[in-house]
This record gives sequence, structure tokens and C-alpha cells, in this order.
Amino acid sequence: MSYVRIENINKSYQQQKVLNDISFSIEEGQFLTLLGPSGCGKSTLLRAIAGLNEIDSGSISVGDRNITALPSKERQIGMVFQSYALFPNMTVFENIAFGLKMDKMKKSEYTPLVEEMIALIDLKGKENRYPAQLSGGQQQRVALARSLVKRPKVLLLDEPLSALDAQIRRSLRTEIRLLQKRLKMTTIFVTHDQEEALTVSDRIIIMNQGRIEQEGSPEDIYTHPASEFVARFIGSYNVLKRSDIGLDSLPDTELFAVRPEVISIAPLAEAPVAELGTATIEGKVEQLYILGNVIRFTVSAGGLDILVDALNNSTVHRIQEGMDVRLFLPADKCEPLRQ
Amino acid sequence: MARTSSIQNKMMLLVLIPLLVWLGAFELVPVLRMIAMSFQNNDGQGFTLGQYVKGLTNPLYGKAMLNSLKISFISSVAGLIIALVCSYSITRFTTKLRDRMIMISNMITNFVGVPLAFAYMILLGSNGMLTLIGKELGIRSIAGFDLYSEAGLTLTYIYYQVPMAILLVYPLYNGIREEWKEAAAMLGASVWSFWRHIGIPVLLPGVLGTFSILMANALGAYATAYALTGSNYNLLSIRISALVSGDIFPNFQLGSALAVILAVIMIASLVINEWMASLSRRRGL
Ligand SMILES: Nc1ncnc2c1ncn2[C@@H]1O[C@H](COP(=O)(O)OP(=O)(O)O)[C@@H](O)[C@H]1O
Ligand SMILES: [Mg+2]
Repeated sequence: MSYVRIENINKSYQQQKVLNDISFSIEEGQFLTLLGPSGCGKSTLLRAIAGLNEIDSGSISVGDRNITALPSKERQIGMVFQSYALFPNMTVFENIAFGLKMDKMKKSEYTPLVEEMIALIDLKGKENRYPAQLSGGQQQRVALARSLVKRPKVLLLDEPLSALDAQIRRSLRTEIRLLQKRLKMTTIFVTHDQEEALTVSDRIIIMNQGRIEQEGSPEDIYTHPASEFVARFIGSYNVLKRSDIGLDSLPDTELFAVRPEVISIAPLAEAPVAELGTATIEGKVEQLYILGNVIRFTVSAGGLDILVDALNNSTVHRIQEGMDVRLFLPADKCEPLRQ
Repeated sequence: MARTSSIQNKMMLLVLIPLLVWLGAFELVPVLRMIAMSFQNNDGQGFTLGQYVKGLTNPLYGKAMLNSLKISFISSVAGLIIALVCSYSITRFTTKLRDRMIMISNMITNFVGVPLAFAYMILLGSNGMLTLIGKELGIRSIAGFDLYSEAGLTLTYIYYQVPMAILLVYPLYNGIREEWKEAAAMLGASVWSFWRHIGIPVLLPGVLGTFSILMANALGAYATAYALTGSNYNLLSIRISALVSGDIFPNFQLGSALAVILAVIMIASLVINEWMASLSRRRGL
């Protein structure tokens, strides 16, 4: 039996259904990411698990405890907010110690735990600073420590990096992941940033409009998007219709996702003949720009815009904007999409 | 570029001139004149500390200072407590109701002086509406209420302190973020623990600041008290007015000295409060 079990959660605000029969589970020590566009219900789901929002139906269990009806403070769940939510009147030390104090721990008991945590988040020497005297990244590390020091059964992170700038966001996400592995903390991480999700997670759940769209490992989701929504959301997939590709050997669905880097491109004048099991599409280069040693082409073909990434070799190098080209799509790289 | 901006700055100063003239004529000059007068003898001559000695040693004025401080302190504390509770419930209202409540407080804040005293006379005077109802129903505490006493005066003071306090306290609650409550709950804190460890400490500096303003507001109040009790109730502001505009024994010099003393009391209460606020305001905020 899984460690955290979320079963059939439903939640509506007024007429709007925000969570639609959500079920999933997490193994102990796993890092699960809820990924989805803004407004899809991620926060509502996380807050339901935290006990900060009521749900209309469904159940939530952690270990062998059904916590659905418990108030937040009895759930033994930690939560980190996008806005850090540090207590402004308390120092770093006091903020981290707060939860232990609430557990009626004595100062002599919690001091070593708090100090250990401060060392772990690399804020030694800043114990007596107030939140307003720290950078955003430091504040979020304190918020993390404040939750972790209580060794919650589950740690919830609601877009903890969204308020930070790109560089800190990248380094802090690695830091969070390392800390999570080290403490074997069962974690649910919420983000709308697919790159973030793909780099840190053991498992990803993609949400859309209050439903689970796909669930799987980062590799799985990246290479085999299950629906058009996932293909478009996860990155620069081309979503093509069966008739656009026009190969008989394709699996029996209507839509396919094709990654830009599996498509090859050649000037129409000197293009080779297609091999068996490879589709060809002819079009005109609308745009090209260079991303390091890769060139990204936008090719328009009969009303479609197809993205193609090609290594910058001598053939590709000669292709100019406005040139007629032929594209080659290997059938086995066309991912069938459910509708 | 730098040149135009310095010219612009000079133009801006020109615009300020009417304000400066106004401040000088109606604030600064009278205050300086008052201070100067407070050091003159009864004939408006020489330099003497006599008026201050009289003001500070005469039991009548000593009692007036004590009364003023007492009524100001009680009405400020009571007004503040009522405002803390009311403002908190206002934050829980819907936006529309909230805006209305704030608008009403805004209006009531200006409902002071003679009209306020008159309203209270109609309600709680000897033949006031509530007094008569109290008599009919045999409710002693209402029927026997003496509006023109210290208790009556305190009640009207509290009445006009409350809306002012609400206007000042209400925005403080916006400084308490909902996530702090949620974070505290996730860390195992009860609602009471949240207020004890976070809510109240965060509010405290602002509450103390509000208290100073209420104190100053009440110490300087004059019209309400005068309209209700004439010069029967011994308040510093009423004593000053009696000396300055009274027809029996006008004494501008003593009046000025008492006014300076009142100003010093106000400033002292502001300073003490600011000092307490800075103690409670941790460096990080
Ligand atoms: N308290 C609320 N009252 C009404 N609607 C809400 C409330 N909270 C969230 N919603 C709605 O629920 C949907 C999901 O919100 P949320 O869970 O915050 O999305 P996400 O975190 O994925 O961006 C949104 O359409 C939002 O407008
Ligand atoms: Mg959200």
C-alpha cells in the first residue's frame, strides 16, 4: 500500500468544479510534482491535503492514518508557501524553532535541532537576522527549514520558487532536491514550470482544468506525452494530424506529437528520397534562429507551422529563410496522442 | 539637464510659498507668541517663570492636568479596545460592507464638539430619550445617569475616540497576512498561539502609535467638554480657555503657560509611546 493516498477528491467553488475526482498515491520518500498551468487547481489540491481548504468529497490518508477530517495542525504535514510566509517579528532561529515550541519542546531540546537545520540550509551566522534582512532565496530556505525541522510525514511545496529570479530558482531547486533525498522526505511539489518539474521530480502528475491529464516519470512524460494538452504544455512538440503525416504504418489515432529534433530537414532541390517508414512534408522556411550548435527552423507547410531542430552541419547551414525544404519524419518517432 | 531640473526645483519652491506663509502666519507665529507670552508677567512685561510656577503649583491647575490625563487615558484605552474588536470584525466583512463601515467611521470621526454634546443631551440628558425610557422601565443605571458628570464626559469622549481609532487600527490588520495564520497552523499552532506569538507582536507598534494619537486628540479636546459641562468640569483645556477668553479674570500670560504645559504633556506622551513602539518594533520590520 502506498504511503500517501489521495482518493476521489472533488471540490467546487460556487458553480465551478475545481477538482474533478482526483486520485493518486505517493510512495514514502518520493518526490512528486504536480505540474499544470495557472488556475488548474494545483494550489486547491495541495491546500486540501494540508487541511487549509475543505473538500466536497474524497479521502486523504498518510501512512495508516486517514487524515481527511483532521485540522491542519494535527496532520503532521509541512507546507512551504510561494510567499515564504515567514513570521516577520521573529528571527531566523525563532522562525525555525516555532513549530517545535508549539510541540511543547523545551529550549534545550530544540536548540540543537534548530542549529542542525540552520547548518543544513547554509545560513550559519544569520540566526539572529529578521526575515526582512534576508534575500528572497534565503527566506525561502528558512521557510523550508521551518517545515523540515518538525520532520513532517509529508512536505508540501506550493510554487516555492516562483517569486525568485531565474538563477536562484535553478540553484535552490537543486538544493531542495538534495535536501529531500538526504532526509528521505515524502514531498509534493507544485509548479507551473515544466523545466523545473522535469529536472527535480521522481514522478510528475500533469493537471489540467481540475483533472489529472497524465502521470509518470519525467522521462516518460517527456518522451511519451499522452495527450495533445501534455504535448503542447511540456514543450515544443509539434502536434500533427494523421492526414498531415500521411503514412499508413502509423498507430491508429488521429493526433501525433513529434519532437522538433527527430525531424530532419534538407533543401528541396537536393533532398534525398524518403526511406521506407519515413514521412515527408514539403514547405517553406519562415524563420530560423540559432540556439548554440542547433538551428531552429519554423517551416510552414499547408497552413501548419512545424518546428524543426537541426544540428548546424554544412547541409543545414545552407538553408536560408524563404527557401523551399523537405522534412523527414520517422514514423516510429511520432507519438500517438489520446484525445 | 541638471540645470533645468534645478530651475524646476526652484519653481516647485515657489509653489510652496503660499503654504509656508500660511503655516507661518497661523501656526508658527502664534506658537512663538504664545511661548513668549508665557514668560511674561501679568502685565505682559519682562521675563519671569512666575506663570509656570503658578500653573504647576496651584492645586486647581494641578487637578485640571490630572483630570485631563485621566479622561484622555481612559477614553483612549477604551476607544482602542473597542476599535481593535470592531476593526477585526470589519476585516471579516464582505468588501462592500467593509467600505461602508469605513465610510461611516470617517463621517463619525468628524462628529465632535457641540453637535456631539447636543446629541448626547437628547439621548442621555436629564430629560433625554434613553433617560426617560430608563425611568419608565425602572432601569436605575440609565434613569440616574448624569451626563454632566465625569462618567458622562468620559462616555462622550469614548464615543468620539472609537471611530477615529477604527480608522487608524483597521489598516493595521491588513498587515497581518493570511499565510502567516496558515503557516502557523501547519506548524501546530492554535489560533490563540498565532495571536500571542505573531498577530499581537506585529500589531503592537501600530496600536501604540494609535494610542498616542488618541491621547493627543483627547488632551486637546475642548468643545465637547465645554458644551456638556460648561466650566464645571475641571479640564486643562477648559482652564486655558477660561483664562484666555473668560470674562471674569482674563490672564493671557498664565493661559499661555498652561497651553505650553499642555503641549509638553502631549509631546511627552507621544515620545513615551514612540519609545515603547520602537521597543516592540523589532529591527527587521
Ligand atoms: N477561494 C476561492 N474561491 C473561488 N474560486 C477559487 C478560490 N480559490 C481558487 N479558486 C478558483 O479555483 C481554480 C483553481 O485555483 P488554484 O488551485 O489556485 O489554481 P493553481 O494553483 O493551479 O494556479 C481557479 O479557477 C480559481 O479561480
Ligand atoms: Mg497556485
